[in-house]
Amino acid sequence: MVQVVVPSFLAAQAEGRRRFDVEAETVGEALRALPVADLLFNERGEWSRYLNVFVDGTDARERGGPACPLAGARAVLVIAMLAGG
Amino acid sequence: MYHAIVDARDGTFYAAANHIVYGPTVQRSADGGTTWKRSKKIGLPERSALTVNAAWHIEPGLSQQPRTLYLGADPGVLFRSDDAGETWEPNRGILEHPTRNRWFPGAGGLCCDSIQLDPGNPQRMYVCIASAGTLRSDDGGQTWVPVNKNVAADYLPSPYPEIGQCVHKLLLHPARPERLWQQNHFGVYRSDNWGDSWERLDGNGLPTSFGFPIMIDPKDPDKAFVIPERSPEYHYSPNGRLAVYRTRDSGQTWEEMSDGLPRQAWAAVLREASASDADSLYFGTQSGSFFALADGDTWVEAARHLPPVLSVEVTQWSR
Repeated sequence: MVQVVVPSFLAAQAEGRRRFDVEAETVGEALRALPVADLLFNERGEWSRYLNVFVDGTDARERGGPACPLAGARAVLVIAMLAGG
Repeated sequence: MYHAIVDARDGTFYAAANHIVYGPTVQRSADGGTTWKRSKKIGLPERSALTVNAAWHIEPGLSQQPRTLYLGADPGVLFRSDDAGETWEPNRGILEHPTRNRWFPGAGGLCCDSIQLDPGNPQRMYVCIASAGTLRSDDGGQTWVPVNKNVAADYLPSPYPEIGQCVHKLLLHPARPERLWQQNHFGVYRSDNWGDSWERLDGNGLPTSFGFPIMIDPKDPDKAFVIPERSPEYHYSPNGRLAVYRTRDSGQTWEEMSDGLPRQAWAAVLREASASDADSLYFGTQSGSFFALADGDTWVEAARHLPPVLSVEVTQWSR
């Protein structure tokens, strides 16, 4: 079981919930289990380049993106990156 | 937010919403904007190798199809909903159009920015894609033909190609549906034969040929209104003079309508930021002013210090 925490924008689209306990083997599986999954993936299953996902503090992109394994992980944090100068 | 409408058929609000992180969607509100509901995922089939980049324009269906709406999106795609905006299906005739490999994106992307339905013929409709031009369907959206004869595309090797024009906004006159108006990247045009051919109308009174909005008078098919900008490179009022230009003779001559507008203003009016009805005209600027025509000739600044005005609609409905 891993806990996924989403930012307030997504919580507003999920009836106010910010924390979701899900059973999943990969980050992709965990995010697809969320009621806001359609906001996180495009048709090809890719994340927006402005979406960051951390698994216990490590950027999931460094460990395979959606394929990043969750064995032993406790928390998945979804963060919208801000771009700009 | 690229476009928002009130559906005259039942008063539902719809908005084409785009988030830099979470992508495009359609939001709808049945309670006057108090609460909003997101459409189910708007996507394209995997075999197309395309992804939806932005939702641009929402058009309600005809009155005989009360739960049908259309959505124009980037990359040059048309969606249809038959359940009042809950789910959206891509139009295959547009998605798989044989000329698609000759379409290319304008500065705003490969956007489907105008959708017009013929109230006299439910089988006929038009879409505009920048830069593919105008396409017409006479069979309810199954097949589409380019209708761009005599419409300029000065950035292409052939200045009058079959396909590749950059239409900024297209309007059909509801009382005379064979008559179409378009503000193009290169000029203002009118067609009196369902788009089969076009006549260029700028130059005779218009300060420039470039702009985005176009408005019509639902009572008078010979009237149209545009808000020119300086050039494709400079999106603001020519000579620092914000003005609407009106034709009353089907585009043969144009006259400036600037009474009540600022003496000097370098303003930009976005593609969806103007509207008209039988009583008045309305537009908002990117600098946050909203103007309405008070007595047929004089503008009133009805609101100021707004955020950039993205979309203006005027609709009458009854619950």
